Amino acid sequence: MKQLFRQMTLMVITCGFITAAQATTPEEDLAAFQKFYKKRFPNVETSDFVNGAYSIDPVGRENWEAIEEFPPYEPFIDEGQAMWEKPFANGKTYKDCFPDGPAIAGKYPQWDKEKGMVMTLPLALNNCREANGEKPMKYKKGSINSILSYISFESRGQITNVEIPSDDPAALQAYEDGKKFYYSRRGQLNFSCAHCHLQNAGMILRTETLGPALGHTTHFPVYRSKWGTVGTLHRRFTGCNKQVRAKPFKAQGEEYRNLEYFLTYMSNGLPLNGPGARK
Amino acid sequence: MQKKLLLIFSLLIGILCSGIATTSLAEDTSAAKVQKLIEAADAARKQAAGVGGEWRDTGKMIKKAKTLMEKGDLVKAAKLANKAAKQGHLGYEQAMSQKTLTMPSYLHYE
Repeated sequence: MKQLFRQMTLMVITCGFITAAQATTPEEDLAAFQKFYKKRFPNVETSDFVNGAYSIDPVGRENWEAIEEFPPYEPFIDEGQAMWEKPFANGKTYKDCFPDGPAIAGKYPQWDKEKGMVMTLPLALNNCREANGEKPMKYKKGSINSILSYISFESRGQITNVEIPSDDPAALQAYEDGKKFYYSRRGQLNFSCAHCHLQNAGMILRTETLGPALGHTTHFPVYRSKWGTVGTLHRRFTGCNKQVRAKPFKAQGEEYRNLEYFLTYMSNGLPLNGPGARK
Repeated sequence: MQKKLLLIFSLLIGILCSGIATTSLAEDTSAAKVQKLIEAADAARKQAAGVGGEWRDTGKMIKKAKTLMEKGDLVKAAKLANKAAKQGHLGYEQAMSQKTLTMPSYLHYE
């Protein structure tokens, strides 16, 4: 009986230890995440991870550098600038909503305490439009990519610095939900985001090099040759989910916003370099 | 020679059996039954969707099964509905299995 009691006590202590060991802070997650890539790709400068797969694929990088000589996203930047400057029907402009603009990409995603949700840049732009009596833009394709391209271009060099306010437990919960999404298996192929972009980063999938997740958020929106146009981060999330044969979630819905919150936090310290060009 | 005969005989029996099976499936598959299979598949899909575990093609399969049923191809419709139902169940199970976050062992916390 005594032995049984001792064994049970030991089990309880062990379980408690495991639970405590799994409860990590965002700072600890960030350190472990970035350390993983530094160990995996010791010859890559941390700041170079903003270039995605091209930071680890020299042949792909040569092609990409050639593409960047005449950036395919350039017309979108010009179009976005015109959108930024053109007054709404009520005479106001985006500048009235974002007085610090247009270089505001570094402020997003951010925790909106009042609304109790993660506020992303596309969502904030549409909030601005709606507040001024304009129709909201679509979140994956179309004109939103032009204005995002312009804002991202103007924000180049800003340092990713997502904050998770400690005075609001809901912010931490949103981060944790995003983290859970990232590490959860989904779809018929039973893959998580981490399987491709963490565990197998640098490996070849068919003809493509799997890009590291570190720096994934810095270069959006992105011109993808596959799309033949610029697309948003949530469009890319949708594509990734489809590739593992999972039904994608709604762009700018809670799932993807929280995922963006977590994923961008993981790139804290890296400079923004959007818009980007990818295959 | 005997082996050859045995092989041919087995093949013939096999073909005959599969023919009977297909015929009986077709006979057993009434439009009402297929409708029920489709409904069951949709319920399974919704259950998976409720926990964020719906798979990409389940909804499309159900839609296709409905079209096939309307065209009178009940056997194909039934097969597809069953496949979709299986996907729905698996998607739900998968999402439930991921309820507790497990961090990968290759991430080292210090």
